[in-house]
Amino acid sequence: MRVAALCVGGGAECESIGQARRCGSVERVFHLDDSSLNKADFFTLGMVLAEAAQHLCAGLVITGESSDEEGQGLVPAALAHHLRAPLVSRVQGIRALESPPNCVEVSLRASGRLCRLQSPLPLIASVPPLGLPAGTAGETELRPIETLTLEQLGIDPSRLVFRPELLGIFVPGKPVPVQGGTFDEAADILLRRNH
Amino acid sequence: MASIVAYIEVREGIVTAPTRFLLAEARRVGDLAGATVYALLAMGPVEHNRIEQIAEQVSAAGADRVLCSTSEHLAGPPLDATHGALLAQVAEHLRPVLFLFPAGGVGVELGSPLAVRIGAAYVANAGIELRSERSDVAPASLRVILTRWRAAQDGRRKVDVGDLERPVVAILASGTASRPLGEPCADVEMLSCPEPKYPELHVVASEALPDSAIELCSAAVRVPATASASALADLQSALPMGTALVTPTDAQLGAFQVARPREVVWVSPAQDDNDDLWPPRVPGCVATKVDFDPGAMSSDPDHALAALTAALRQARSRAEGPA
Repeated sequence: MRVAALCVGGGAECESIGQARRCGSVERVFHLDDSSLNKADFFTLGMVLAEAAQHLCAGLVITGESSDEEGQGLVPAALAHHLRAPLVSRVQGIRALESPPNCVEVSLRASGRLCRLQSPLPLIASVPPLGLPAGTAGETELRPIETLTLEQLGIDPSRLVFRPELLGIFVPGKPVPVQGGTFDEAADILLRRNH
Repeated sequence: MASIVAYIEVREGIVTAPTRFLLAEARRVGDLAGATVYALLAMGPVEHNRIEQIAEQVSAAGADRVLCSTSEHLAGPPLDATHGALLAQVAEHLRPVLFLFPAGGVGVELGSPLAVRIGAAYVANAGIELRSERSDVAPASLRVILTRWRAAQDGRRKVDVGDLERPVVAILASGTASRPLGEPCADVEMLSCPEPKYPELHVVASEALPDSAIELCSAAVRVPATASASALADLQSALPMGTALVTPTDAQLGAFQVARPREVVWVSPAQDDNDDLWPPRVPGCVATKVDFDPGAMSSDPDHALAALTAALRQARSRAEGPA
C-alpha cells in the first residue's frame, strides 16, 4: 500500500502538513485550500474529502476521531457517507491482508471488547487520540506539497451549501476550571452524588 | 405525540448504568414535553424470556415502549456497518425529535453516522436543559435545549430542539439513576432487521477488555501510575459504585476517552499539571485536583491514596451516623 497524506484547509504551514512532510512512511502530501471552505460545515467538508479520496484512488482512509475545535467526530462520518464506504471508529490497529485481496484486518474497541474484524476496501477508519502507535519509519527529507483544487475535483464552490445550524449556537465561555481541594473535600464530592 | 428514541446498550447481558441514566433523562424530557420514550434494543438471537427480562428493566428505568430487533447481524459489537441500517429504519419510521445514545463508546460508533444519514443535528457529550418560556401573548412553553462544550474549551454549543425542523442525535453524559421511574413491563414490539449495508465487513474475534468498566463510569479518580496494587485495591473498595479508578496506562486512558463522568478527582504530585488526557468535559462536570507533596508524604503516592481512602470511609461514617 502506498501512503499519502491529505489536508483540507488550515494553510500549507500548519503543523499537520509539516508532520506529514517529515514522516518517512508518507510518500506524497496533498493540500486543498480554498477560501470558499473557510466556513464549511462537517457535511461539506466530508463531501470534499470524499471527492479528494476518489480523485487519489484511496482505498483506505484513516482519519482522526474528532477535531480539536468542535470535537464531535462528524467529518469521518460525513466522509464515509459521501464515499459510500463503512466507517469504523476507536481503531487500535490496521494491517493489510494477503488473502483475500484488497482487504484489511482492523482491531478496535467496541462495547467493552477488543474486536478484530475484516473488511474489504474502501474503508474509513477513525483513530482516537491514543490509538495507533507512532510510526517507526523515521523522518525524511521534506516531501513537497502537491496542491489540489476544487476545480480538479469537479466541485463548483458557488454551489456549496453550509448549514451551521446543525452544530447549534455558539456561546463563548470557559468551563469551570479544575479546582484545588483537600482529600476530605474530594471524598465529599464523590459521595455526595449518591445521596 | 412526539417521540424520543433511547438506544439501549447491553453488556454481558446487563443494561449498562449510563443507559439507565439515559432512560431517566429521556423520561424527564418525555414527561414535561409530552413525548413517548421508545427504548431500542438491538441484539443477536436470544431467547424471548431474556428479551422480556431486559424489557422489564428498561421500562422500569423510564421507557414507555420497547422496540427490539434480533438478528445474527446484530450479535457482534455495535458498529455502524451492522447496526446503522436498523437505526436509520427506526428513525425513518418514528421521526423522533431526539435519538439518544448513552455514554461509554456506543454513541461514538453509531451516533455520528446516524446523524449524517438522516440529516440530523448532532450533540456529543450533551447535557439536557428544560427551560420554561413565558410570554404575555402565548401560553408558557417548554424548551428542550441540548448543550455541550467545544473540544477547544472556548465556549458551548446550544441546540434548541424546538427551533430545528429536523431531529437531534445526542450522546449523553453519565449519571446516576437510583430509583425506578416506571413500571416493569415486558411488552416488546419486535422489529425486522434490515440487511446490513456492508455485509462483507465481519468480526473474526473479540475478547473482553479488563478495563472496560472505566468506559461506563459516572465519576472517576485519576491516580499516579506508580501507586501500588494494594493501595489501589484499598481505594477501590472505598469508592462509591460507578466510580472508576484510572491510572495513566494506555489501555486505561483509551477506555477513559469515551467515559463521560460528571465528577473527576485527580490525585497527583503538586508539580504535575498535565491534563491533556482528560476525557471531554461535559456540562456540569466537577473536576477537583488534590495535590500531594511527595516530600511531605513520603516519596510514593500510596500515602496520598491512603489519605483519600481514609477520608472516604470517614465521610461515609459521618453520613451513616452512629449505629
